[in-house]
Amino acid sequence: MTGPRNPLAALWWVPRGIIFGLMAFFIFGPLFNMLLWTVAEKWYFPYSFPLEYGFSSWAKVFAPRGGAVESLVNSLIVALLTVVVSLALAIPAGYALARLKLPLRSVILLAFLIPQAFPNLTVYVNIARIFYEIGLNGTIPGVVLVHVSHGLVYAVWIATAAFSAIDVELEQAARNIGAGPLRTFRDVTLPLAAPGLMASAIFVFLESLDEFTGSYFVGAPDVNMLPLLLYTAGAGGNYQIASITALLLLVPSLVFMLMVERFLKADVLSRVGH
Amino acid sequence: MSRRLLGLALVFPALAVIASLFILPLIMSAVGAFQVEGAFGWGNFIKTFDLYTKDILFTVVIIVLSTVLIGIASIAIGGYLTLGEHPVAVAILRWLYRWPMFIPFIVVGQILRTFLAKNGMMNNTFVSLGLMTPLDAQSFLDWRGIVIAFVWKQTPFVALLVAGAMASINRDTIEAARNLGASKLRVLLEIVVPQVAVTLTVGLILSFVTMMSVLSVPLMINAQSPTMLTADIAFRVNSYGDYGVANALGLISLVLASSVAWIYLRISLKERA
Amino acid sequence: MKRMSYAAFAAVFAVLPAHAAELTVATAGDQNMVDYINQYLGPLFEKTYPGNTVRAVGTGPGDAGSQKILERFDAQAAAKSEKWDVDVAVVHEKFVGPMVTKNYLDKYRGDIETGKLVTRNNAKMALGTNVEGYVMPMFNSQTAIAYNPALVPNPPKSYSELAAWAKAHPKQFGYNGIKGGASGVSFVMGWIYAFGGGDANTLMNGPFKEEETKKWDAAFKSLADFTTNATLTPGNAGTLDLLSRGEIAMGPVWVDMFYSWQANGQLPPTMKLVLPAPGMPGQPMHYVVPEKAAQKDLAEKFIALATSPKVQAEGIVKRFNWYPGIDADKVKAELDDATWNKLFVDISPADLAAKGKPFPIAPYNNAILEAYEKSVK
Repeated sequence: MTGPRNPLAALWWVPRGIIFGLMAFFIFGPLFNMLLWTVAEKWYFPYSFPLEYGFSSWAKVFAPRGGAVESLVNSLIVALLTVVVSLALAIPAGYALARLKLPLRSVILLAFLIPQAFPNLTVYVNIARIFYEIGLNGTIPGVVLVHVSHGLVYAVWIATAAFSAIDVELEQAARNIGAGPLRTFRDVTLPLAAPGLMASAIFVFLESLDEFTGSYFVGAPDVNMLPLLLYTAGAGGNYQIASITALLLLVPSLVFMLMVERFLKADVLSRVGH
Repeated sequence: MSRRLLGLALVFPALAVIASLFILPLIMSAVGAFQVEGAFGWGNFIKTFDLYTKDILFTVVIIVLSTVLIGIASIAIGGYLTLGEHPVAVAILRWLYRWPMFIPFIVVGQILRTFLAKNGMMNNTFVSLGLMTPLDAQSFLDWRGIVIAFVWKQTPFVALLVAGAMASINRDTIEAARNLGASKLRVLLEIVVPQVAVTLTVGLILSFVTMMSVLSVPLMINAQSPTMLTADIAFRVNSYGDYGVANALGLISLVLASSVAWIYLRISLKERA
Repeated sequence: MKRMSYAAFAAVFAVLPAHAAELTVATAGDQNMVDYINQYLGPLFEKTYPGNTVRAVGTGPGDAGSQKILERFDAQAAAKSEKWDVDVAVVHEKFVGPMVTKNYLDKYRGDIETGKLVTRNNAKMALGTNVEGYVMPMFNSQTAIAYNPALVPNPPKSYSELAAWAKAHPKQFGYNGIKGGASGVSFVMGWIYAFGGGDANTLMNGPFKEEETKKWDAAFKSLADFTTNATLTPGNAGTLDLLSRGEIAMGPVWVDMFYSWQANGQLPPTMKLVLPAPGMPGQPMHYVVPEKAAQKDLAEKFIALATSPKVQAEGIVKRFNWYPGIDADKVKAELDDATWNKLFVDISPADLAAKGKPFPIAPYNNAILEAYEKSVK
């Protein structure tokens, strides 16, 4: 807020520097490791750094048959649609769970938790079976629906928390000056809940980009997603390919978060004067 | 009454998606947990407890420990972002803490394996800085590696939520307490944290549940005995094609995760009343 | 003029579906399997049969990858799909049996010319199930002990020597238990072949007898002791990873994975392999065609190409360092000696013939794994 009050304040940078330095080491160390692997041609003990650098793995990933670009585009489309659908479903649901009297509220909230809580290895065969029957297998809507069922837990739970945290009196004040319920919701409640909702959008986006099992069973071979490329390389220990694919996933996530954040800041700032 | 109907109408679409796309397929497979050779029986659960009791306990301990650490770390980060006075320091932290969130779990497993190994990057750095001799270097690729991986990946997730909630609380009480001479730590623990308790708990529960279902981290960092339940489930399915025990393990995992959520829901319900 | 071009368009569209067929190949296994199809076999097939395209889907390494293909078939069978969305699948030996028993597969081997070149027994029986005619081996793989010659100048020649070495060098031997991939499983199977009290041949060829499973107690007891002295590694890749950073000196690995790590520069070129007596299991990866594949003809052409001596020589042996799937003599004839011998630098053909074992038949396989879970903790 204010500048350093006295010269001693500069000394605070010593503990700060140590703590931030350690944090940076633990956060960026592994990330740096990953970056090195994307350009490592040869790297083994006892060398702390790669023996040879090069881009042969990049060439592999981006070879015309590698399908990286197509998968990336698919992943992005699916992730964005998943966010839109999840939020469209979660905002009304979250509002109802937070504000309205609902029978079995706890049970409903628990139901949303189940797709995350039950290790889904055994469930996907059945999902795939249902989707084959109704012709959703191998389509983008099919993959989006599966991702939505996983993303909803974040969207609904966080939306519920965000709506609960809003002071009811603010809504009542709006109603008292003659605003209708929908308008109150649009102009008062929704903006106040926005930070939480946007955070949940980021998580839904990440969850969708990350998801492998559903993408394989419902998407492949017609709709290939980036995690499918990542999974074989990652689980098999091909560090170069896995790291490059992870980097490819990182970029859209960052862009999405920056966009969300920008939108969020503008919105919060605009209400400061009120 | 109409409010109730309205509420149900608002929840229904989301609920329908979950019910038809996950709960129905789940039931189709979960009944298998109660069947032994086509007939109803507890055999799968008996076998589960016979072989995997240790793993169940291990999973609970690891995840509870990770959740606690994530909670502490995210309160610290959120607190500093809210109460920190030096704008540059706050900006640095804000920029710093979020990165791991964007790394998929399967890559988290891989990069932490090469980072935490005995001759991995972490120990190499310490050795080259002279903080440690190569002989003291030890591998963290055991239960500690799993905890570190979970905390590394999940802290930003909870911290993002907590920091957002902290940012939107009324600053007047904070300023008032500060003017009365309360230390920052007291303000954080007695004024700020209680106001974001709901968000914090929701974040931690979501994180708890996510960690319960992650397979790649235990597989890539430590798949020895005891190991996490997800590794056992994968093993039952892939090695024996045994969906019965796998589903029994899945149900146990579901019960563990739901009970935590249930406790929270009971408490929050009481508060609402 | 306009009319003409419309007609031409119509003609093109009418012909397109028949020619521009897309062949979907689902493959379990490591990245190198996907690479093999994407970089070598796919382009070659497209050149040989112009107008068709091949797309590869990797389903992940190890049993989990094959299991995912099996589950995909399960789902389509349960949904009673008319045409399945996989034309050719490459799966581990263990999963061929269930696929045949469930009637998912086409008996195609008789239809293709190269079918006659299959000589090894493991294309007839897969872990105790008769799969004759349903499979063509893509390649054979073998597990062996990888070691660092700088730390182990005289590698153990047998399981007993290996056990003694591990006792003398605590934590220097690493393996991935049984839950982290098949190289650890294979090591355990080899242990039971070596010390299991019963007849190893019964385990490999059947028949299954309950009393055989009672003979392993001593072997598992010694394995539990052995394991306390060993380092447990995270997965097949984990063993290689720890070897590459010098944390362990020895460990069981898949030979093909070992070579691909060396080729990727992730493993020092100095590392070597040894196959200890009485032997360790290996297994083929099989090409299979679903009964309801949409492009059956094309699938057969694809496999015929993939199992021709030329492709086996050039692709399987020369480029990817795998042991050929078909009659080795036919493949050898296509290669110069230097290339052929590259396969046998560490493990001689005689060693391979004598000590390359199959996995135990399915019921013994499961019994051994479960006994391991109970006794080695």
